[in-house]
Amino acid sequence: MKRTLNGWLRGLALGVLVGAGLAPSAFGQEAKPEVVVGGLSNPCGVAVQPETGHVFVADSAAGRVVRVVDGKLQDVITGFPKDVYGKGPFYDIGPLGLVFLDKDTLVVGDGGFKDGEEYIRVYAVPAAGQPAIDFDKDVKAKSGPLAAAEGVLGEGNLYGLAATKNAIYVTCNGDDTKGWVSKVDINGTKFGPLERSIATKEAVEVDAPVGITISPRGEIVVGQMGEINKPKDGLLTFYSAANGKKLMNLETGLYDITGLAYSPKTKNLYATDFAWMATGEGGLFRLDADSANPATSLKSVKIAGFDKPTALAFAPDGTLYVTVVGPKQDDQNAPKEGQLLKIAPGL
Amino acid sequence: MRRFLSPALLLAALAVPCWLVGWLVAADFDPAKPPLGLKPVPVPTDNPLSPEKIELGKQLYFDPRLSRDNTVSCATCHDPEKGWSNGEAFATGVRGQVGGRSAPTIVNAAYSDLQFWDGRAHRLEGQALGPIQNPIEMDLTLDEAVAKLNKIPGYRAAFQKVFGTDVTADGIAKAIASFERTCLSGDAPYDRFKAGDTAALSEAAQRGMKIFFGKGQCSSCHVGHSFSDFSFHNIGVGMEKETPDLGRYEVTKLLGDKGGFKTPTLREIARTAPYMHDGRFKTLEEVVDYYDKGGFDNPQIDEGIFPLKLTSNEKADLVKFLTEGLSSESYPQVKPPKLPD
Repeated sequence: MKRTLNGWLRGLALGVLVGAGLAPSAFGQEAKPEVVVGGLSNPCGVAVQPETGHVFVADSAAGRVVRVVDGKLQDVITGFPKDVYGKGPFYDIGPLGLVFLDKDTLVVGDGGFKDGEEYIRVYAVPAAGQPAIDFDKDVKAKSGPLAAAEGVLGEGNLYGLAATKNAIYVTCNGDDTKGWVSKVDINGTKFGPLERSIATKEAVEVDAPVGITISPRGEIVVGQMGEINKPKDGLLTFYSAANGKKLMNLETGLYDITGLAYSPKTKNLYATDFAWMATGEGGLFRLDADSANPATSLKSVKIAGFDKPTALAFAPDGTLYVTVVGPKQDDQNAPKEGQLLKIAPGL
Repeated sequence: MRRFLSPALLLAALAVPCWLVGWLVAADFDPAKPPLGLKPVPVPTDNPLSPEKIELGKQLYFDPRLSRDNTVSCATCHDPEKGWSNGEAFATGVRGQVGGRSAPTIVNAAYSDLQFWDGRAHRLEGQALGPIQNPIEMDLTLDEAVAKLNKIPGYRAAFQKVFGTDVTADGIAKAIASFERTCLSGDAPYDRFKAGDTAALSEAAQRGMKIFFGKGQCSSCHVGHSFSDFSFHNIGVGMEKETPDLGRYEVTKLLGDKGGFKTPTLREIARTAPYMHDGRFKTLEEVVDYYDKGGFDNPQIDEGIFPLKLTSNEKADLVKFLTEGLSSESYPQVKPPKLPD
């Protein structure tokens, strides 16, 4: 029998969102994060290297990508330029999103150039202990930029990255009339051009796609940050990877979603909320299906409070890694208080 | 959601005096079925709509007895005859006192979580009591307002019927908010054009629509079904002053919010002159010229504000879209009701 749209949405919501929430977390409401390493400068991206399990962080304001081994930072890619984000508070940013395509291939999104001049960069990462490579000279491939054209602004701040076998998806924040998720097609070892793909603002009428991941069923899942001076307007939206069409859009009650990731063990979906205007309310949230309103909203269950979390990534064993900016330091010479945190398997 | 009035009752009501016409509008209001182009109206679970509550809210909205000297009602500054604003740069309250910001329209305010130009109030319920207590506007304490209305038997009876209590401040807020929730504008030529009626917009308005959603960058902020993100942006207006009105910053104290004011809806924009939070522009042509020049630069100016390099024809087309495309024949032209004695 043909399913009704509402029935299909309900199925999508309950099935994709997580089966979750419906099953209690091992941690209940509060998990215990541990500091893996500090001294980071506005870390904005995190990815776990396949096979080695090494954690890579975009140490954004330091203009580098680092590897974390035994609680120590090793430079992997250096020399990224910096730009300034925000109108107060201001944040220096450089490299942003990270995603591994395989053990040796890391993709990095630019944030340190002006809009319309930023690239998706693909690197063959050196092995642990090897010298760092240069962000520009040693790039294996790059796609972009999305320059300004008549009536269309250039794209920039390539914050969130997610990849399938066939494509890299990246959230952009240049053209505020459209709110693009852009895309790079992958054909074997070849990378296509960076192209505007999903106009999220036209789809959901809210600004700023930032967090992104791929659902277990292959949908593109986007966290819409919304306006930073407007509370709790964050959205979670599912799009078809086949045609970019919106499948479902859910109110989250979160302020500013910066990252999304599915637990490899439980398939629960988690989000980091920067909560720009109320940072004390930010943290890590599990996104549970709202059985009463599965097609319009979800329940955001706070797992841990964090100070300005920016990204998250699971290791295959279920360990969760989260980057946080930490206390804002207006003094350029102040100690860097960004951290990489981890939560033991169980989420 | 079921409609409040059956067709039989509607027919029967045709014979009632004209001041009841507004009640008919209220009674027939279904938040799940707004005018074409609009989303369903959000209604708080703790303030469900009813025809009686909407009608009570309408009476309160139009009643100057909610001010100290019985001269100012909500409708004084948010007049249906003037786009649910007041046609002036600033709001004028009791004793001729003039405020510092223009009176925003009530049209489609139902969709905004945060109210006032600086978003300091949550929802219509949170906004409704503000002007009553403002010494420049209506200048009553809530205790005074409640006591004053409780001396009016008609109000006491209406509150008993709607809320099961005498007049309360909470009830005043809920009733006014319920009425304001019905003040919607949709089903404009733009909506009909989007729905497939290609003749609904003139060619000039269609060209203007493309400018609006493209080169003009208008939809960076004026987005969605009500042409507003209901968020706060610094577009440079007023920032040229030595001590500017800092808008949203006064609420959040975040540096980035300095000079930020809520994006107004553009529905019925042709009726709501003058424009901007300080009412500085008398015409939409002036507004478009301001944006075209890139606003007044300042450290917190929105990234969507920069010189647009529009041609004079493009500017004219843009104004045509705003005036022709977003003005509805079903504008909520509500008449003042008979007030209770």
